[in-house]
Amino acid sequence: MKNTIKVERAILNLTQDELAQEIGVSRQTINSIETNRYVPSTLLSLKLSKLFNKPVNDFFKLEDND
Amino acid sequence: MKKSKICDAEELRLQWLVNFKLPNYWKKIGWALLSLSFALIILTKFLDGDFSVIISILKKITLLGLLIVVISKEKIEDELMENLRGKAFSFSFIIGVVYVLVQPLINYLVFVILKPQKARFEDLGDFQILWFLLIVYLTAFWFLKRRNA
Repeated sequence: MKNTIKVERAILNLTQDELAQEIGVSRQTINSIETNRYVPSTLLSLKLSKLFNKPVNDFFKLEDND
Repeated sequence: MKKSKICDAEELRLQWLVNFKLPNYWKKIGWALLSLSFALIILTKFLDGDFSVIISILKKITLLGLLIVVISKEKIEDELMENLRGKAFSFSFIIGVVYVLVQPLINYLVFVILKPQKARFEDLGDFQILWFLLIVYLTAFWFLKRRNA
């Protein structure tokens, strides 16, 4: 699964740290999600969706091998 | 009380038990206990006398210190940390079982080669197994955290 969290974050002009604080996780977690090392839970995905004001499908995309 | 309410209360209690962790400041207490007891164990090696009871107590304090470090929260304990903890626990469990199976065999073979007259097959003690499991867990968790930094 790939994601465009970095782009969405840039649109809102947020640093990793600021985004992490907004949704109540560590900067490490945001970094791990952006670099595809960690797939977030539904809860966290929905928090991101609320913050970005977009459906989850807009910034998380399934790949052929998923 | 309704059956559903009893089930909910049971579920809450179970969740509390499964997710139980000490506050972050306990980590320092754990390290302090661990360092102190470990240093005292080393110290007894240089002193004359029978310290078997004291060493036995100190070993338990060492394990307690390690356990406190293991179950203390990180500064920010979020779902990534839960995930990494799970991975570190499963890794340490598997390595621990392999260690318990293989280490006595290695000990025996080393004795056979170096001191054949003293060669005896002995299983590991509880302290050695628990110490190994906790240390492997902490190392794996530290490595995974570093990888995700």
